[in-house]
Amino acid sequence: MVEPTVLVVDDSPTVRKIVQMTLQREHIRVITASDGLSALTSVADEIPAVILLDIQLPRMDGYHICQIIRKNLQFRQIPIIMLSGKDGLFDKMRGRLAGSTEYLTKPFDSVELVQTVKKHLVDWQSRMPQRNDDMRPRLRRRS
Amino acid sequence: MEPQDRIMDGDLQTLGLQSILKMLALSGKTGTLLVHSGPETLVISLRKGQLVALHEEGVPQPDLLGMLCLLNKLDPPGAHRLREASQGNPQVALGIMVEQGWMSLNEMQRRLEFDVTQSISHALRWVDGRFAFHRHMIPMESKMQPLDVDSVLLEALRQADEWEEMGETALTRTTVSRWLPEVSKDVRSLGLNQEHIDVLCLSNGEIPLQGMALALTLPEARVVHIMSRLIELHLIEVVDTSLEAELQQDLSNIIIMCQHTLAQQRQNSTPVQHLLGLINTQGQCINGLLVHHGTYAKGLRGRGQLPVSEIVRYLERRFSQQLQLLAGQQYPILETVTFVNGQLDYSEIINLDSLVKGEQLEEFYWEAVLGLGAFLRTVFTVLLQDEVGNSHTGRQLSVVWKAFLTEVEQEMQQYNLYRAHQHAQQNRNRRTDASSNGQNRNGSSPLAFNEGNAQWGTPETQRRLI
Repeated sequence: MVEPTVLVVDDSPTVRKIVQMTLQREHIRVITASDGLSALTSVADEIPAVILLDIQLPRMDGYHICQIIRKNLQFRQIPIIMLSGKDGLFDKMRGRLAGSTEYLTKPFDSVELVQTVKKHLVDWQSRMPQRNDDMRPRLRRRS
Repeated sequence: MEPQDRIMDGDLQTLGLQSILKMLALSGKTGTLLVHSGPETLVISLRKGQLVALHEEGVPQPDLLGMLCLLNKLDPPGAHRLREASQGNPQVALGIMVEQGWMSLNEMQRRLEFDVTQSISHALRWVDGRFAFHRHMIPMESKMQPLDVDSVLLEALRQADEWEEMGETALTRTTVSRWLPEVSKDVRSLGLNQEHIDVLCLSNGEIPLQGMALALTLPEARVVHIMSRLIELHLIEVVDTSLEAELQQDLSNIIIMCQHTLAQQRQNSTPVQHLLGLINTQGQCINGLLVHHGTYAKGLRGRGQLPVSEIVRYLERRFSQQLQLLAGQQYPILETVTFVNGQLDYSEIINLDSLVKGEQLEEFYWEAVLGLGAFLRTVFTVLLQDEVGNSHTGRQLSVVWKAFLTEVEQEMQQYNLYRAHQHAQQNRNRRTDASSNGQNRNGSSPLAFNEGNAQWGTPETQRRLI
């Protein structure tokens, strides 16, 4: 059986490793990216079932990445869970406007993380777009 | 599967699995037999009364390729390629191994037969449950030659009898074992045979007993005997997987919390605030780990609800010596740190700003950062070794911990850069002052004056004075 893949985008290696360890325990495959550009490359290469996206990232912030993904017809269905230390209403609104599906505030609880990810993994196979190699260069050029 | 396809159904108390299989085999039936008991389901495909495929649901499927790697029968890159090519289907992976010449056709057949026998043997021990036979076959990937139901049943019953003969045992087919971290003896002197060594190799804290039996093609009862012997020899221990998952979650939450505190203190503008932020992050982390260890320490497990005073005593006994050692040998500022109710009280360090200011305060804070950092590392190492040892969980947590320490070190590096910059700046200023004042070289320059008349003396003396 093919395992669902979750992309974790965070500049902190600690957060990346913890999310990876926590989700792998639930038999969820995890790929990681530490900045916006490599995140977009990973989206095009792997087509993840869910994206966990930090807001404050080097080179390109999470809102911007979210907007790029949402504008792309092939990837717009992928649930994006914003992951950030900011828990103000303004930030949540900004995330929602950029197209995020849900917002998880740091420091998050690992049980809450698993529950949130699993909630968005339901029907992931039917939601997933087919891998299309033509998309990759286009997305890379945009980014 | 449509209900109209169902030829017969019933419960296992009325008609046992053995009788059902015999009946279907004798009448040469083709179809799918589904047997449910609790969360487990056995799906058996029959063609003209012969068993052609079997699939178990509700139990985690052991990673055969990973186990073959542990037994040194497959290398990890090869296993990775096989996993990708087979998309995680073990039957397809075995087929590829045969194609590649890594396994003989006979061995594959033997393994597949063993898998079927083991599953049926387990299901023969089910007392409660239901069965249903459908005329349609569920498509299942199978590389197995059709099996004669009678011979499978004979072997499965023999294995089930072996299991029953063992009597009362705490080990079940889902038991997971792992190497004890403190084993230092030479295992060659213990008279272990190859089967013992193989089980030892597979005791990595992840593989259930059933998986070991499958990898070694040994009956589960035999694996129970071997495992019991290894436990007696103090070479392995049984892992409580649910406790370990809980422990991992708790430690993850502590690390996430501390990483968050660390990230927040990056916004501090002055070096003193930066250092104070690091002290608080490390102190918070140490206290989080102490609370965690008070709950999950091996010495405190399985004793029910313990009085807080006993947990506090345990924690202080375990860690105060290391703290004193660090204070005595390297970081005297840690002498101001004490244990209060099983928690580290570092408030004297935090309140140092009421006693000293400026560069001296920075010096003290910097020493505290280094000292608490060293103690933090010690606490985590002791805790991990005690709670999970060098198991899979332990190794994973070590990786996460290293990542966190790297972030802490980067922050310390930032401060070091600032200090280097400050010193360079001071030296430049002094040189400029000396040349502009036409200084004499007999110790009357501002630099020499400061050095010669430092009323606070060395940092060590300053500390004692405070």
